[in-house]
Amino acid sequence: MSGPYSGLRVVDTTGLAGAYATRLLAGMGAEVIRVEPPEGSPIRQLSPFTEAIEPPENSLWWSYLAMGAHSVVIEVEDTDSLTRLLAEADVVFEDQLPGTPNAASELVTPKTIRTRILPFGLTGPKRHWRSSNLVAWAASGILYTTGFADRAPVAPAAPVQLAYHASAASALVGTLLALRSRRLTGVAQDVEISMQEVALSIAPETGVPMFMDDRVHRERSGNRRDLGRPFGLYPCRDGFVSIIVLMPRHWIAMAQWVSEITGNESITEAVFTDNAVRVEALDLIDDWIEELTTLHTRLELFEEGQSRGIPITPVNTIDALVDDPHLRAADFWDSTVLQNGAEVMIPGAPFRSSSAWWSMTPAPRLGEHTDRYLA
Amino acid sequence: MTANQNNLPLDGIRVFELGIAIASPFCGKLMAHFGADVLKIESQTSPDVVRILGSAWLKDREDLAPIASDTSPYVSEMNASKRSVGLELKTPEGKAVAMQLLAECDVFIANFGARALAELGFDYESAAAVNPNIVYVQLPGFGSNEEMPYYPFVAWGPNQAPLVGMDDFTGHADDPPAGIATVAPPDYMSAFHAAIAVITGLEQRDATGKGVHVDISQFETTLALLGPFVMDYDLTGAVHSRIGNRSMWGAPQGVYPCTGHERWIAISATEAQDWEAFSPLLGSSVDADFDDPSVRVSDQDRLDEQIAAWSKEFEAEDLAGRLQAAGIAAHVVSTNEDLLHDTHLTSRHWYQIAESKRLGRDIFTNSPVKLSRSSGRWTGAGPSMGEHTRDVLSEVVGMSSEDIDDLISVGGAFEQIQPEITTSRPWDDWIHLLIPGTEDARDR
Repeated sequence: MSGPYSGLRVVDTTGLAGAYATRLLAGMGAEVIRVEPPEGSPIRQLSPFTEAIEPPENSLWWSYLAMGAHSVVIEVEDTDSLTRLLAEADVVFEDQLPGTPNAASELVTPKTIRTRILPFGLTGPKRHWRSSNLVAWAASGILYTTGFADRAPVAPAAPVQLAYHASAASALVGTLLALRSRRLTGVAQDVEISMQEVALSIAPETGVPMFMDDRVHRERSGNRRDLGRPFGLYPCRDGFVSIIVLMPRHWIAMAQWVSEITGNESITEAVFTDNAVRVEALDLIDDWIEELTTLHTRLELFEEGQSRGIPITPVNTIDALVDDPHLRAADFWDSTVLQNGAEVMIPGAPFRSSSAWWSMTPAPRLGEHTDRYLA
Repeated sequence: MTANQNNLPLDGIRVFELGIAIASPFCGKLMAHFGADVLKIESQTSPDVVRILGSAWLKDREDLAPIASDTSPYVSEMNASKRSVGLELKTPEGKAVAMQLLAECDVFIANFGARALAELGFDYESAAAVNPNIVYVQLPGFGSNEEMPYYPFVAWGPNQAPLVGMDDFTGHADDPPAGIATVAPPDYMSAFHAAIAVITGLEQRDATGKGVHVDISQFETTLALLGPFVMDYDLTGAVHSRIGNRSMWGAPQGVYPCTGHERWIAISATEAQDWEAFSPLLGSSVDADFDDPSVRVSDQDRLDEQIAAWSKEFEAEDLAGRLQAAGIAAHVVSTNEDLLHDTHLTSRHWYQIAESKRLGRDIFTNSPVKLSRSSGRWTGAGPSMGEHTRDVLSEVVGMSSEDIDDLISVGGAFEQIQPEITTSRPWDDWIHLLIPGTEDARDR
C-alpha cells in the first residue's frame, strides 16, 4: 500500500470502538492488522448481512470497516502469539476496561503507542463501567434533549453508531499526535479516549458551561425549536425538509416564495420580519409554510429554496442519498468487492487531497493473514 | 494543566484560522491545546457567529453591551488557547497584511463556504502563491469544486445533519423523524477529519518539503459513516431508518423510566452474557420465555414494557450503579443539571479554567484527546476579539508600532475594544465547587 502512513504497523484489537480509526489508517496506507478470535471479530456478528455469503464473511459492517486490514486469528489465551505480533507494532488500538488480564496494551514494548478507547476513561469512579453507543449518549446530556416531549428520549442517529465513530476519530487524532511526538522525541506515549467525554465534547449545547451561563434546563422539543420560525422539519410530498430561518433576509425570501406559490398575501406583511413576532405566532407560520412544502418534493424544495438563498435542506433517506445529483456529479461513490466476488457500492474517501493519500482494498477473510504474521 | 509545555507535538507550528461557529474552530482548539500557535483571524464587519450570540445574563446590562462579543460561553468552548487577530480581509490594507501573516504560517484551516473563501481571495491557489508549502485544509459544506451542483448552497450545522441522513435515523420507528437540533455531527466529524489532515499534512511536509491541499466536504465526510446502510441498499434495496433506542443486534436495549418526573435510564444488554447478569436482577418481573434470545428480539415490545414496569420502582442513579455492578452497560439519561453534579467528570478535570482578559477567568471543556506525556496546555480562555492583533503583527509580520497604528486607522485591522471594561460571570463566585483546586473567589 502507498499513502502517507505506508510502513506504519498498526494492530487493532477493538471491536466497533476503534474500527473507524483503523479504517482511515488503512485508507492512508498503514499496515493494519486486525486480531480476531477463532470465531471472528465481534464486528462480524453485526447485521445487516448479505445472504449470498456464509458467516463469518457476511457482515456488511465488517466488509466496510475492516477494508484495507489484515486478519490474524489468535486464541484469546495465546499471549505468546499476540506478544510476537505486537513486537513490531507502532500502534496498538485497544478497548479493554482497565485491569483486564492479558490486554494487548500490557504486552507491547515501550516503543509502541498504546491507544485506548474506554467507556469512561482510565481514571475516576466510573472507570470500570461499561458503555455502548446508547449509554455514551445518555451520559452526555444529548439523549435527554432529543425526541418529542411526550415520548421517551432517543439517541441521535442510533443505528449509525456515531458515539463509537466519533470516539475512533478522536483516537486517531491522538494517535497521529503521538506518532509525530515519537518521531520528534524518540519516545512513545499513550492515548486515552473516554467515550463519554467525546460525546460531551461534540454536544456543548447541553454542556455545563452553557448551563452555568443561562441556567436553562434543556428539554426535548421534537423536530422544531422555538428559537425561530420556520425552524426545524416540515412535511413535504415525499418526506420532510429542514428549514432554519433566523436572519431577516432569509425570512423575506421565504415569505416571498410562499406568497408566490400559495397566493398568501398576509405572510409578506412587514410585521413578520421580526423573528420574535413569528415565534409568538408559530402555529400560524408553520401552517403557512406547510401550505408550500406539502406541494413539492424534498429535492424540488432544496434546489428552489437554495437558489432563493434560503437555508433549506432535504431530510435525506439512504435511497435519496444514493441518488443525490451532487454526489453523483462529484463522483463520490466508490465500490468494494465482497468475498463472493460481488461488487457493492460504498461511500468514497472522506476527504480529497492534492497528494495521493487514499486508496482502499477489500476487507480480509477470517484468518487470511495468520500465516504471514505467525508462521 | 501545563505539565509538559516544552514538549508538545505541535510546538512551533503556526496556524492561520478563518473559522466560524464550530467545524474549523473546534479543530483549531485541539491544535492549540497540543502546542500550536493558532491565530484566529476575526472581522468586525462579518464576525464569527459566536461573537453575535452574547451571553444570557448580559441582556439587561447596557453598560456591558460594547463587550458582548467576548461573552458567549462558545467563545471559550471553541477558541481557548488561541490568539485573536483583528484583520478586515475585505479592505486592501487588511488583506495585504493577512497575506504577509499567512506567509509566516504552517497551516491554514477554514470552514467558510468555498465560494466565500474564493471571493475573499483565500482559496488554495491564492494561499499557495504566498506560501507554496502551506498545509491547507478547508471544510466547506459541499466541497471546493465550483463545477459541482451544490457548490453555492448555504450549509449550516443544524441543516447539514438532516441532509446527511442523521435526522431520518433519529426517533422512534412509528414517529416522524425527531431531528437532532442540539448536536451537529457534520461539524464535529469534519473537524476531526480536519485535525487528521493537518497532522498528516505536517508530517508529509517535514518528510518531503511539500505542502498539501485537503478539501473536506462536510457532506461527503459525514456520509463516510453510513457505509453498511449504503451497501445494504445497493444489494437489496433495503432503506434502513430510525429504530428508537433499540439495537439492530440484540435485545434488550432502551431508555426506561425511573422513579420521579422525567427520570430515565439507558440500558444496553444485547449480548448473551448480559442477559445472564440482567435476568437475576429482573427476577419474575419479566416472563420466563425471554431466556430465549430469539424471543427477546422478536417480542421486544412486551420485553420493554416489562422492564419499564420494573425500572419505575428505582431511583435512576441507584439503578445505574446496580446494573454496572452486575456488569451491564447502563447510565442515567443525564440532564444538564446531572452533568453539573457528575463527580466522575470533575475527578477527571473535564472542566478547565483559564485566564480571560475580559472575564477574569472562564471555564470550558477539556480536550477529548488525552496524551500521557504531552498533556497539552490551556494558555488562556477564549480571546477577546482583536486581543492579540498588535502582538501578532509586530512579532510575526515584523510591523512597527506606527505601521500598526496606520493599519488600524484605515480600518484594515482592529484591536480589543474598550479593554478597560472588565467583568466576571455571575457564577464566578462558586466556580471552585465545579473545578477542584480552583481558587475560591472569596479568598482572593
